[in-house]
Amino acid sequence: MDALDGEMRDLLRKSEANLALLVEKAGYLIHQCGSQEAMDSATFATLGSNAFNAVQFMARLVNEGNFTSMYQQGERYSTLMLNVDENALLVLVFPTHLTLGSVKYYATPAALAIGVLIRSASLRVGVNSLDLSDLDPLDIGEIFRGK
Amino acid sequence: MAIINQATKELQVKIVYYGPAKSGKTTNLEQIHRDVQIPENTVKGKLTSLATSSDRTLFFDFFPLEAVAIRGFKTKFALFTVPGQAIYNATRQIVLRGVDGIVFVAHSEYERMEENVEALRQMEENLKTLNLNLAEIPLVIQYNKRDLAEVAPVEYLNFVLNNREVEAPTFEASATQGIGVFESLNMITRMLLQKFLKETGRKAI
Repeated sequence: MDALDGEMRDLLRKSEANLALLVEKAGYLIHQCGSQEAMDSATFATLGSNAFNAVQFMARLVNEGNFTSMYQQGERYSTLMLNVDENALLVLVFPTHLTLGSVKYYATPAALAIGVLIRSASLRVGVNSLDLSDLDPLDIGEIFRGK
Repeated sequence: MAIINQATKELQVKIVYYGPAKSGKTTNLEQIHRDVQIPENTVKGKLTSLATSSDRTLFFDFFPLEAVAIRGFKTKFALFTVPGQAIYNATRQIVLRGVDGIVFVAHSEYERMEENVEALRQMEENLKTLNLNLAEIPLVIQYNKRDLAEVAPVEYLNFVLNNREVEAPTFEASATQGIGVFESLNMITRMLLQKFLKETGRKAI
């Protein structure tokens, strides 16, 4: 996580983007660096991943293997989503005075580096495993209650 | 696919409410959002709905819920609904990606039975496309709209929709009145946490 955090912070520093999110393609926010005023980053990540997944679907319909990135230009902010690997994508939010080219110049190698980190983490034998035996599933009971 | 973040002590799981059009999937989430009790000093997540102007789900509804279901870990439940209308099957596939548990919300009316069956069949097909097997995913079936006049008996619904080797737990519901909503949610969360614990089953070194 430290290496991941370092890579993403480095990206923000170099690209001058406001916010970098590492998002799992099912919609989970894995890690966040930077901040964006008054934004629910978890929901943003979910919406972004689903939008990206929809675009990948479109790619298949035009016999394209993969649309590797997705760019949205706004009046104050823009977003860039880059494919990291099969399961993750990198979402950047940056002010529009920054050009897409300059952000992408730093983001593309960062996405590759993050992919390498994820891959090496998944190959690593678990050294800090969890002890989940504390929880007796029969005791879960009612997790959610209504008013 | 559940995600566990040991650094932040978080577990994230995805639950999808699936079913034919107008079966009450969005109503389930709205009721949960409206009525769920949350711990003190926490803020309730926002219900995000991507819908048409006539409130038909266009892409999905999304509501994040947090609970401490595993000691020392914050569990984040991402609740999604899919659009029910027939033309949105591609979208349903997208939302099903990475699903950990499914609540199938079925109509209880006799005349809607064909839609229930077709939705269930298509759900299995969509899961296969995603290399997922329905038999391996925790499933709860909710027989919604029990308050309507011409509803089929539960035995009939079970025969049509739950005729499988291992029957899924079922709940009668009237989501607009909040009946059966939390029961369905609690059962699916219990099932997927049990599955998660069984599959990980790791011990500390």
